Order: sequence, then structure tokens, then C-alpha cells
Amino acid sequence: MKADPGRTEGGEFRSLMRLIPYARPYLWHFVGVVLLVLIFNGSTVLQPYLVKLAIDRDLAGGGHPGHLLFLSLLYVGIVVAGLAANYSQIMLLQSAGQQIIRRIRIDLFTHIERQGMRYFDHNATGRLVTHIANDTETVNQFFTQFFLSMIRDGLSVVMIIIAMFELDVRVAAECMVILPVIALVAVLFRRTLRRAYQTTRTRLSNIVAFLAENLAGMRIIQIFQQEARQAEAFRELADTHRGASVIEYGVSVLFNRSFEMLGNAAVAAVAWAGGLAVLHHAMAFGTLYAFISYIRQFFGPINALTQQWNTLQSSIVSADRISRVFQQAPEITDPAQPIELTAGQVRGHIRFERVSFGYRPGQPVLHDVSFEVKPGWFVGFVGATGAGKSSLMSLLLRFYDPDAGRILLDGVDIRQLRQADLHRFVGWVQQDVNLFSGTIADNIRMFRSEISDAEVRKAAEVVGAAEFIERLPDGYDTFLHGKGANLSMGERQLLAFARVVALNPRVLILDEATANLDSRTEAWVQRGLRAVARERTTLVIAHRLATIRDADQIFVLDHGHIVEQGTHDELLALNGLYADLWAKSGTEYESEAEWKTTPKTLSHPR
Amino acid sequence: MQFPHLLGAFTDALEAGRLTAGGVGRFALELLAVGVLNVVLYGIGQYRNGRLSRDFEYQLRRRLFAHWEQLSTAYFRHRSIGDLLNHAMTDVQAVREALGGGVNILTNAVFLLLSTLVMTFRTVSVKLTLVSMIPIAFIPVFVVWLGPRVRQASRRVQEALSDMADLAEESLTAIRLVKASGSEPVEERRFTERVNEIVRRQVGLYRRSALFQSTIPLMSSLSFFVALLYGGTLAMRHQIPLGAFVAFTLYLTMLTTPLQQIGFVINNFQRASASLARLSALLAEVPEIQDPPHPVVLERVRGEIEIDLPSYTYPDGAVPVLEDIHLHVRAGQTVGIVGRTGAGKTTLVSLLPRVFDPPPGTVRIDGIDVRDLSLATLRGAIAYVPQDGFLFSASIADNLRFGRADATMPALERAAEDAAVLGDIRRFPEGMDTIVGERGVTLSGGQRQRLAIARALLKDAPILVLDDSLSAVDMNTEKRIIARLRELRQGKTTLIIAHRLSAVRHADVIIVLERGRVVERGTHEELVAAGGLYAEMYARQQTGEGEVAG
Ligand SMILES: Nc1ncnc2c1ncn2[C@@H]1O[C@H](COP(=O)(O)OP(=O)(O)OP(=O)(O)O)[C@@H](O)[C@H]1O
Ligand SMILES: Nc1ncnc2c1ncn2[C@@H]1O[C@H](COP(=O)(O)OP(=O)(O)OP(=O)(O)O)[C@@H](O)[C@H]1O
Ligand SMILES: [Mg+2]
Ligand SMILES: [Mg+2]
Repeated sequence: MKADPGRTEGGEFRSLMRLIPYARPYLWHFVGVVLLVLIFNGSTVLQPYLVKLAIDRDLAGGGHPGHLLFLSLLYVGIVVAGLAANYSQIMLLQSAGQQIIRRIRIDLFTHIERQGMRYFDHNATGRLVTHIANDTETVNQFFTQFFLSMIRDGLSVVMIIIAMFELDVRVAAECMVILPVIALVAVLFRRTLRRAYQTTRTRLSNIVAFLAENLAGMRIIQIFQQEARQAEAFRELADTHRGASVIEYGVSVLFNRSFEMLGNAAVAAVAWAGGLAVLHHAMAFGTLYAFISYIRQFFGPINALTQQWNTLQSSIVSADRISRVFQQAPEITDPAQPIELTAGQVRGHIRFERVSFGYRPGQPVLHDVSFEVKPGWFVGFVGATGAGKSSLMSLLLRFYDPDAGRILLDGVDIRQLRQADLHRFVGWVQQDVNLFSGTIADNIRMFRSEISDAEVRKAAEVVGAAEFIERLPDGYDTFLHGKGANLSMGERQLLAFARVVALNPRVLILDEATANLDSRTEAWVQRGLRAVARERTTLVIAHRLATIRDADQIFVLDHGHIVEQGTHDELLALNGLYADLWAKSGTEYESEAEWKTTPKTLSHPR
Repeated sequence: MQFPHLLGAFTDALEAGRLTAGGVGRFALELLAVGVLNVVLYGIGQYRNGRLSRDFEYQLRRRLFAHWEQLSTAYFRHRSIGDLLNHAMTDVQAVREALGGGVNILTNAVFLLLSTLVMTFRTVSVKLTLVSMIPIAFIPVFVVWLGPRVRQASRRVQEALSDMADLAEESLTAIRLVKASGSEPVEERRFTERVNEIVRRQVGLYRRSALFQSTIPLMSSLSFFVALLYGGTLAMRHQIPLGAFVAFTLYLTMLTTPLQQIGFVINNFQRASASLARLSALLAEVPEIQDPPHPVVLERVRGEIEIDLPSYTYPDGAVPVLEDIHLHVRAGQTVGIVGRTGAGKTTLVSLLPRVFDPPPGTVRIDGIDVRDLSLATLRGAIAYVPQDGFLFSASIADNLRFGRADATMPALERAAEDAAVLGDIRRFPEGMDTIVGERGVTLSGGQRQRLAIARALLKDAPILVLDDSLSAVDMNTEKRIIARLRELRQGKTTLIIAHRLSAVRHADVIIVLERGRVVERGTHEELVAAGGLYAEMYARQQTGEGEVAG
């Protein structure tokens, strides 16, 4: 999460530029904003002019009360017009800004969701959420505050410079030495400012990541009574963030104040040089007076602009963080010319051909795995924990792509299918159930409006979830808070089953999906699953061998190899690993001694 | 304030021709000195203010976290993490900014305002001043009227932001499910809805705050209008000198800026106060489960458990989840708890460490009501492996020593060995230093579970509770672990919840829960012989045994 030292400053600025296209649809908004700023500025310039008119014409001598009234009303009119322009400008600019972040947020979210699973293995959710929620907000300041200030204050600066040149070209030109000095200071501070922002942002997202994780694991913290320790860890994070934040603030104060200092010094310099010039009658007193006030006015907008220099730097930092997410091309992509399969066509034939895979280079998890599952089969996968069963299924779902070999669905390499199609055909239930904030019904239909309430109920009934759902206070409309924490673990699994029945895929993967169910409920679920789709292909990973006993085929995995395959009876006859597992799978132990001996089986360092 | 004054003196002197070259130099130096001093002092003030507000931010975050640490599971069930995060980040920041930036501008503006007012009253007719101030006097009325509206709009924006953060967090946590079910478009739609809501509410907020910020200059312009008209008339009638009128209008223009700034700050304060209200609502949440007023501290807990629970209903539940539970576990016994899904097993054991509070006097450890024990004694005495063994995204070693920071490496290895996970750890290239990813995503299901067990074993507490903690390991490994447990837990109380009967087979007593009631109890042999629910489960899981034996 540290800043990549190899990146150039220009590269970072480019990340902001990369976000500019988001503003393009709102070009006319921005043009409108410029016009409205002009109107508003015009109105503020007109106001003193009107007063001057009033003083010169009416008050200085022989004025007319009616005229004065007219001028006063005109004054009010101009003020109101100016304010209306200002109001419209704020609304126009801010709604453009909001539309821009809206788009960036949606694109960011979409982009993140398109990432392969490896990405999520290594990026903390809390951090990803800060990109979506906070970095976008900071970038927005570039399109609103920064832009506005550029227009408004930039305009003022230009106007003052023009006024100075109109007054006296030579003196004005001399005064312009201030410009390179200003630029120099800005450039000098740029790197420091940006680094300060970078550090603060990184540390802030560390805080977010820590909080997200610890809030999720609060029960563990409390049970293990590690409140003090985690609080201390949090204190440290918050403290380093505070440190960075104070430095960041200090740098920006120093930066902004140094401009004010520059302004005051410039006034003093003009007073000195100009004063001498006046003494030597090289300059009229009035000119000097005017210049002094111009220089002072000049620094008003300059100060405002330098404030925005800070905004710019922090936007660049955030834009860079966002860009890095955007630059991360999804590891798993759809083919350019996907093969079209419709749900009706898919028979559910699965074939793994010499598939090898590892999560990290040099650490293979699956070695040269080949097997075939015929349409409509019910197959089991068994093996010690860590043998690679879930990894196998992840490949079938294309969470990852294999390092070698290929996986065919109905004879088509799954890499040639659209992921959306693949996931329509292949369903998956695992032991850890994810529930969403929403009603039970919404959780079953996964928020898809095309699945009707009747289908939801039907699905729940099939897997036997209806019983407990109907016991809940609001039945199917019961709202699940906090990811379904008010359900028992088994009930959550039943919901996951109902979900997959509602989605009705052709191929179903059950990854220890019944682990938290009692045997009776499990049997019920399995009967239900079969009843709705007799011809569905089902792949089951189970540690309870009774679950897969009747499977058409059982594959035994050991350390990423398929070491045995066959029906239950064939495997028993083989008298190998499976037979050994089976022997120990009962509730009883043959003898006390058997406990102590390490089984001759799986998952031992070879 | 000194700077313009000095400048005025300089121009006056220069105009009057009272200056020499040296005088000009001196003035210039003085200007410089005053300018520098001004900036330095202001800068220091600003910096200190900023630091103060950052201190505040830091303290507030710590306070929030400490507060959350005290709140019970019952609380967290109703809150989503995204929402809590938004409190800790956006709301805290809003308050900080109002404090830091706001106070700076406000002090400045108020100072400017007051000094201008004083000057005005001193130089110009009091009556004119008062009359012209009438529109300005309406500003507070406006603030009172519009302020709460801004605050409310701001609160709604924060809520919408929370909603979005929530959805993003939830959806990304469930990314595997989202992908596997091809739900990306659905999630995008839901996310887009949330984002659209934010835009809608933000625009509403801007509408109000733009109105707020425009009103103040409007009022001061109206004041100006009155001054122009009334003062002008006075001047025309020579009731006040023209010079006074001109000066007055100048002062009035000088009033506009600070007024505008104050309006800006008040606007910010309104928004921040919405955030502050959200934060204080959060902090006002009373921790339900706390140390009793006079906590009993035990030197040594033997591990005797007595439960006499007429009924237990979840704080937000309608019907009792447990009824008529009477259980006496002698120190050192092993108890198996089985029963159908949703029978109440988890609920029962979570009453022990007060994850949820049992009714007073119903659950006792070593004869003392758990609610009278100090939390330190109570939770120190119980090692609990929850059904979803949560791991932190730290190294394996750090996860293992989570309950005992001082555990040595051999101790870690022993615990890992006991939980039959040492082999797996050794096979990772980085061994104990392997980082496990968020919630342990880079581990297999069984590895995750066994690490959670090892973590609890390392705590070596008088009472061990395993809530279905062997569900994701194969039978062989399960048996190894159970065998180790039998050795390790000699003389120590152990509660094991399981669906696979092999995990509870050896227990001294097994209880069978059904719909919150104990329907059977006894040893494995007794229960099998009794031919009830347990025997039925047993039969189901034993199918095929005979073939092996044969
Ligand atoms: N996302 C991941 N990143 C890195 N390594 C992983 C990841 N997921 C799994 N592994 C490793 O790959 C190996 C195989 O894991 P897998 O989840 O496939 O096992 P499994 O057979 O399903 O085991 P279990 O029965 O315990 O669920 C394990 O050693 C595990 O640590
Ligand atoms: N926090 C809660 N608030 C309200 N009701 C709850 C809460 N937790 C669980 N329940 C309900 O209480 C009942 C018992 O749940 P519990 O988690 O104790 O079951 P369990 O026996 O552990 O089941 P499983 O074997 O599926 O884990 C369930 O019907 C569940 O819906
Ligand atoms: Mg697995
Ligand atoms: Mg449970």
C-alpha cells in the first residue's frame, strides 16, 4: 500500500487526466458555470459603481430623491440577479459534480466486481470500500471546488493584472516578477504536499481496513478478551494517521501562509520602491497608492487559488488510487467471440483435461487432474482437508483459470463462454453462507425481480426451509440484519439451498454445503434437490461419506491428485484410501488403540 | 488590523511629503515586520487549531472503537459494518473539519465583524446604523429557520452514504457468491440505486445550503439598500455629512465578507451537527453486557456448569428459543450436544460466556451466576470456538496467539499439532508467517476451522466449547483431533456441539435438543439403546458400517 517509488509525478497527474472524460458529458454545465460566474462577478463590480453614481449624481449636489430611489432599486435588482446567478451556479456545478462521482462510483464498483478472485484474496474489502466511498469524494472536489476557484479567482487575478497594466505598464511589468516566485513556491511545495496527502490517505485506509475487519470479528475479540490489545492496535493506527494528518495540515498551512507572507512582502517592497520613486518624482503618488491596493487585492484570489492547489494535490492522490484500481485489468475476462449456449441446450457434461493449478507460482495445488462427469450424474469428491477439492470447484466456476489443461462444459472450453452464461448454468453452494441485508425472500431470489414470490416459496419448501421461515415473525418478509446473524447456521444453509433451487442451474456444486445440517435435514435437502431437477448434474464435496455413498462416481483427492475413482462399491473393493476413510467414517471406533495411531492416509507430508 | 492602519499612515505621510528616503525604508521595514508577524501568528494559530481538531478526531475515533468493543453481539446483529465505518470515517471527519476550519474562519470573521461594527458606530450616526442593520438582524431568524433543514438534509445524505458503503461492503464480502450466481448485474443495479439516492439527496442538500449561503449576502445587500436610500436621503438633506455617508457605505461593504464567512461556517456547523448527532446516538448506546457492580473474581475456575433455564428468548425475539433446560456439568466432564438445525445448541452455549445474557441466576459456573462474575474471570475461563471460526488477516502465528499474546513458538506449534493443522502449516512456504487473507480466505475450509480450534486450545481454559467446529474436516482428521482432545482435556470441562455423532460419541453425557428442549440425555450407549431421536441419527450415519466390517 506504499506509494510506488517508480512512479513519476507526471504519471500521477495523468491519473487525474484519465478521469477527465467523466466530466465531458457535463461540458455545457461547466460552460454555464463560467457564464454564471461572470454574471455574478459582474454584479459585484456593478454594485460599487452604482453607489459611486449615487454619490456623484445625487448626493454631491442637487440630486433627485426619485433618482436615488431608482438607483437603490436597481442596486437591489442587480444584487438579486447576482445572487440568483450564484445560486444557479452552485446548483449547476454541484449537480454536475454529483453526476460525475456517481458515474465514477458505478464504474469503480463494476470494475471491482469484474476482478478475478485472486484480486479479492489480496485486497481488503475495507480498502476497496474507501476507494468507492471516499476517494471519489476527494476527486469530486477537483471538478467542483478546484474548477470553480480556477474560474472565479483566475478571473479576478487576470482582471487585476489588466488593471495594473492599464495604469502603468512599466511598474506593472516590474510587479510581475512576483509571478515566477509564486510558481516557484508552488512547485517547491508540490512534492511535499502530495507526499503528505499520500501518507495520510494510506494511513486512513489502514484505519478503515482495521475497523472493517475488527467490527466483523468483534465477537472473537470479546470472547478472547483482547479488547485492550485491539484498542491499542487501533490507537497506534489512529495515532500514525493523526501524525500524518497533522504534518499534512502543517505543510498546507505553511504553504498557504507563505503566500500571504509573500503578499505582505510584496506590499512592503512596492511601498519601499514606490515610495522612493515618489520621492524622486518618478511616480505619481496616486499611481503608487493604486499599485499598493492592487497588489493587496492581487493576493486575495492568489491565496484562494493556492488553497485549491492543496485540493488539486489531494485530488491527484485520490485519482491515483482510483486509477490504480481501474488499471488493474480483470484477470478473468470474457472471450471476444463467446460461444453461445442457451440454458435449454446445456446437458451438464463436465470434463477436466489435465488441469494443473496453483494459487501462487511454484506452489501447485492441483496436479494434472483429469476426470469426466456425465450429464445428470451425481458425483462425490472426497479427500483430506486441504487436498484441493474446493480449488477444483473454483476452477469450474472460473474464479481462477488453470495454469495448464482445460475444463469443458458440454465439450466447450469454459474460457470460451461468457462468465454470465457459465454462472447461469453452474450453481454453487458452500459451507459459508453469505446473506445480504434484506428480506428472506430477497435473499432467496438474490434481488432478482424476475423470480416471483411463488417461486421463492416453492424453492423454500423444496429444501425444507419453509418450516423455519414461517416460524419467523414476518415470514418471508422478515428482514435480515447483519448478514443474517439472527439465524442458526443450519438455517442459513437452508436459505442458500433455497436460493440455488430458485436459480435452478443445470450443474450444481455443493461444497460441504450440508456440513452444518443434521443428518435428517440433510437427507431432506438432498431429496428436495433431486426432486426439482432429476437430470441435473451434481458435484458434491462432503466429509460425511454417507452423503455421497450413492453417487454415480466418487473421486478421491489427495494432495491435488485424483488417486482413486469409481462407485462406492468399486472403491471399497480397491481397498485403498477410500476404503480406509470409509472404515473410519462411522461413529464407532474399532478400538481405543486406533485413536492413537496416525492413520495411513491423506494429508501427510510426503 | 495593524497592517492596513500602518499602510494608511504611510500613504498619508507620503502624500503630505513628510518622508525622507530613510523614512520610506523604515516604513517599508515596519510593514514587512508587521506583515511577517501577522502571518506567523496567524499561521501558528491556524496550525494549533488544526492540530487540536486532529487530536479531537483521534480521540473520537478511539472512543468509538473502545465503545464498540463494549457493545454486545446483540448490538452488532442490527448494524452493518459499512454503516459503522461511515460513522467512524465520514462523520468524524465532518465534525473535525467544522471544528478546525470553522473555528479559524469564525474567530477571524467575528473579530472582523465586531471591529467593523465598532468603527461604524463610532464614525456614523447611530440611527442610520441601526436602521440599516434591520435586514441583517433577520439573519439569525433565517439561521434558525433554515439551519435545521440543512442539518436534516445533511443527515439524510450521510445515511445514503452509509447505505452505499454498506452495500459495497456486503457485496464485496460475498463476491464469490455474487460471481457464482452471476449476480453482478443485479448487484450493479442495487449499487446504482444507492448511488442515485445519494445524488438526489446531495442535490437537495446543496439546494438548501446554497439558499442558506445566498441569503446572508442578500440580507447584507438589503442593508446596503437601506443605507443607500435612507443615508442618501439624509445626506441629500444635509443631515449627515457626505463623508460620513461614504465611510458608512465602505464599512457596510466590509461587513459583507465576515457575514458571508459566518454564514458559511454556520452552514458547515449545521452539517457537522448532523454528524455529531449521529455519533452521539452511537455513543449513547449502553453496553448491555458489562461487568456487574460487584464482580466476583475467581482465582481458579474448576469448570462446573449449572444451567437452570426456564426459558430463553432473544432480546428481539418473540418466542422462546430455549425452554426448561436443566443441566449440571461437573468439572472435568465432556458433554456432547446434538440436535436438529435451529434446535438452540448455539444459543445454549453462547449464554455461558455471555455472548448473550441469560436471565439472572439461570447459568452458573462453579456455583456463581455468570452475571455476577467479572467478565475477565468468566471469559478467561472459557475457550469458545464459534461455529464460524473467524480469522484475522494476519499471519497464522498472530492468529493463533490471538488469545495469548505471549505464547512461544513451541507452544504455538503444540497447539497446531493438537488441532492437527501443523502439517498443513509446515507445508506452506512461509509456515507460521503465512498471511491468511481476510477472514482466512486463502485457506481451505478445514484449515480455517482447525486454526480456530488451535487458537482456542492455546488459551488452555478450564472450559472448552466447540460449536460444530469439526464440520469442515474429514473423518480421519476429526478422529485425530477428538483423540487429542480426550488426552488434553482430562479433568477439564468440554462442551462439544456436533452434527456428526462421531464427534460426541465418547462424551460423558450427551444431550439431545429439539426445538429448544432437552428431549434425551445419557451416554452414547444409553441413547442408542433408548431408540429415540439419537438412535435415529445414529442409524442414519451408520449406514454402510456393516459392509466394511464384512
Ligand atoms: N485463495 C487461496 N489462496 C492461496 N492458497 C489457497 C487459497 N485457497 C486455498 N488455498 C490452499 O490450497 C490448498 C487446497 O485448498 P482447498 O480449499 O482446495 O482444499 P479442500 O480440499 O477444499 O479442503 P477442505 O476440505 O478443508 O475444504 C490448501 O492448502 C489451501 O491453503
Ligand atoms: N440472534 C438471534 N436472534 C433471534 N433469533 C435467533 C438468533 N440466533 C438464532 N436465533 C433463532 O434461534 C433458533 C436457535 O438457533 P441456534 O443458532 O441456537 O440453533 P443451532 O441449534 O445452533 O442450529 P445449527 O445446528 O443450525 O447451528 C433458530 O430458530 C434461530 O432462528
Ligand atoms: Mg474446501
Ligand atoms: Mg449453531
